[in-house]
Amino acid sequence: MSNKLEAYLEEISHFLSGRAEREEILSEIRSHILEKATAEHGGTGDDAVDRAIAAYGAPRRVAERYAEDLPIIAPAYKRYLFRYTTLLFAVHAALTVFAVVFKKDFVIFPFLFMPKIGVIEALMYLPMAFLADLGLVVVVLYFVTQSGKEVKLPWPKIGVDLDELKPPKKAFWGRIGTAVGAVVMLAVTDIALYLFARYHTIFLYLTGGADPRPLLTPEAGRYLSLIVIAQLAVSTMTLLVKLFTRSPWVTIVSNVVSLGLIGLVLRQSFDGLFAITIPEKLMPMIKTNIKITLLVIALVVTYELVRDIVRLGRRKLAHERSSARRPSV
Amino acid sequence: MIKQDPEPDIGSLETEMNRGFLHILVLALLEKDMYGYSMVKHIESLGYRVEENTLYPLLRRLEKNGWIASKWDLSEDRPRKFYAVTAKGRALRGSLLGIWRNQDRVLAKIEKENTNVQ
Repeated sequence: MSNKLEAYLEEISHFLSGRAEREEILSEIRSHILEKATAEHGGTGDDAVDRAIAAYGAPRRVAERYAEDLPIIAPAYKRYLFRYTTLLFAVHAALTVFAVVFKKDFVIFPFLFMPKIGVIEALMYLPMAFLADLGLVVVVLYFVTQSGKEVKLPWPKIGVDLDELKPPKKAFWGRIGTAVGAVVMLAVTDIALYLFARYHTIFLYLTGGADPRPLLTPEAGRYLSLIVIAQLAVSTMTLLVKLFTRSPWVTIVSNVVSLGLIGLVLRQSFDGLFAITIPEKLMPMIKTNIKITLLVIALVVTYELVRDIVRLGRRKLAHERSSARRPSV
Repeated sequence: MIKQDPEPDIGSLETEMNRGFLHILVLALLEKDMYGYSMVKHIESLGYRVEENTLYPLLRRLEKNGWIASKWDLSEDRPRKFYAVTAKGRALRGSLLGIWRNQDRVLAKIEKENTNVQ
């Protein structure tokens, strides 16, 4: 018996794993290939078997032909994948914000436990939460599909269909706006770079004297200035690239970088930040305000990030649906 | 500028059309006992072609539904699995042929109407 045939059957067997009739299928294929090799290629030697195997097809393709047509998620339920994920993630994100702002644990037994977390942890947690929500919805829809029952899934009529959002068409004036924005951002970045080169910080305040004075301590000023300049550069680059491409990846990459930069700002200790004297009782309020502002910005960026990923996923699904070729039978 | 439609994907349309046709073909062919390889060759000799890796899963599905039956023949050097249509399969074949003939009749009529229009 040809080792090549056994290796080929072994590969098919791997892709058929879990099927009760696997051995029977392999016996049928073995019988056919030996029959063909003998009848058409003069025997069951390696060369003859090789040629018969080549005609039969790649192992994965062969195994897939045996797959029943039952999809993992039925077409009627596919739209609920992003609908429910969006909804679940919105709840998750809101609870995360509460946990950060109110410094409390939140439990929705048995579905969710949201421990008291810091801002950095929250920013790192949200993408994971999105994936976990997506996975949970997939599992639910999988079981609904496999049950084979006519389940009418609920969805509020007023619900925003994130999956139905169409990417805005860039009209002529839209492009002009992007170009103007890019020029303005370039100028702002240049000014920031100039200030940083001259004063080693961009956080300055004007006094009656000739030169402006630093608002923050030298170390904090340098660190935060670099982050702000990096953010300005990213925004400028994004606008410039958007002039040439409408790829959603541009915004996705830009938003990921922005989230990272916001995280870096929030790592900064806000104690002893200012080079000027600030009344003691005002400090907690300033710190809270800065944190809340950054958190709101982070949430907006996260929302845009999730929205773009959903759009990309929907577009990929639609593309796959239109280009997928069904198996022959 | 008028946007041209992309070239139609005949391959996938043919695959769609083959789905039903292969069911009728196999059910008709198995009026006498045959094994997989002999079916492939016989279909080829009739001027049609069925992919080997398509035929066996189809046979399995037909058997699962009770439309054909199979048995291994171990009397020769090489074991061969023979298939034959069942009574249930014959009834199905009759119904499918009825549908196919009706479709053929409708298309022929439309073709005739189109010829008259031209």
